[in-house]
Amino acid sequence: MFDQKGQIRIIESFLAIAVIFSAVLISFTFPSLPDFSKQKTLASLGSQALIKLDTNGTLGNLILQRDWTSLKTALDIQLPIGVSFNLTVFDEADNAVNSEVVQNSNLLGQEVVSVQYVCATRSQAVEFFAIRLQLAWTG
Amino acid sequence: MRRNGNSGQILLIAAFIMASLLLSAQLYILEVGKISGDTNSDALNDFLLSVKLGSRHVIIGSLANISNGGTRNILEQNLREWTEFIGSQYLHGKNTVNFTLEETTPYSSGTWLSWGTNGYGVSSAYADFAHSLAGRETNVDLAYSVNVTTALLIASVNRRLNETARQVNLTMNVLNEAYPALAKQITVYYRVSGTWLIPDFANGYTLQDYGNGTYVASFTAIAPLIDEVSVHVIDCRGIYVQANATSTEI
Repeated sequence: MFDQKGQIRIIESFLAIAVIFSAVLISFTFPSLPDFSKQKTLASLGSQALIKLDTNGTLGNLILQRDWTSLKTALDIQLPIGVSFNLTVFDEADNAVNSEVVQNSNLLGQEVVSVQYVCATRSQAVEFFAIRLQLAWTG
Repeated sequence: MRRNGNSGQILLIAAFIMASLLLSAQLYILEVGKISGDTNSDALNDFLLSVKLGSRHVIIGSLANISNGGTRNILEQNLREWTEFIGSQYLHGKNTVNFTLEETTPYSSGTWLSWGTNGYGVSSAYADFAHSLAGRETNVDLAYSVNVTTALLIASVNRRLNETARQVNLTMNVLNEAYPALAKQITVYYRVSGTWLIPDFANGYTLQDYGNGTYVASFTAIAPLIDEVSVHVIDCRGIYVQANATSTEI
């Protein structure tokens, strides 16, 4: 009788240890926090690239001329190597303006950061655009 | 004896409580981390800067329009449309931009066009902005002014070559916001007996660009006397300005 009680105690102790151990294991396997600092850096890089292009009106001019190739090249120059992007331009009525894809590589499967940017042209007939720039590290 | 018999179950219950505490603490840390990740002052600053840049572009485009013959109310109209547009573009709170067009002399409805005869011409637009952002995590009030000014300074001298011809030299300085700037197009005129003429290759017209906003035009005017010279400039932003001056005889 005494031996049986002892065995049950041992089993209960093992069960208690198993419960605690599983909780610790589960907490370790929780999805780790996304690296927000990395995302912030990427978003900041994207914003800064657009701001640089917009400072002298180049961004608005390229959109106005629908020169998507030059816009892609300009962004390629501004962004560091290892950053992939996909840019979409929307007009005041929220319609996509770019008839072709403005991207340097496919972002499928990547951890993507999105940057929203507003832009006005310097033309005599002023036009406004909203730009969505999606970025991801590929390096 | 009874208490001793239940001690194993109490141990198990305590283990379950500890496990749930551990897991809930972990979940809490994760959620707190997510919230702090949403706070991004850089993104906010970039948004404010993009709006400020856009406001400047709107004023440049409007001034280009007005100085090239457009109506003055285009500035107010464009700015109103711009502020309405950006009001709907900020997704994290209420976004309001108000503007006031400069009315202090010499400005009227935010613009000042002075294309005088004293060798100085100016095309300018001026507006004050108040940008307010009210969101869950931020409240920002930003006030700024945008002044876009294209100025032209000219000076001319001429000397007699013979009874019917004069050598005219004309120095021009183009300025954007008081800094030297390049011109996209320059047209020189001179007036003889009340008629404006444009010098061309037949007059030996040359235009020298010093690359720092200074241009020197030289030509031979087939006339015994030069009344006045006029320069019409479109700067690289598309803003038109002109200045007239008396050509001094040397």
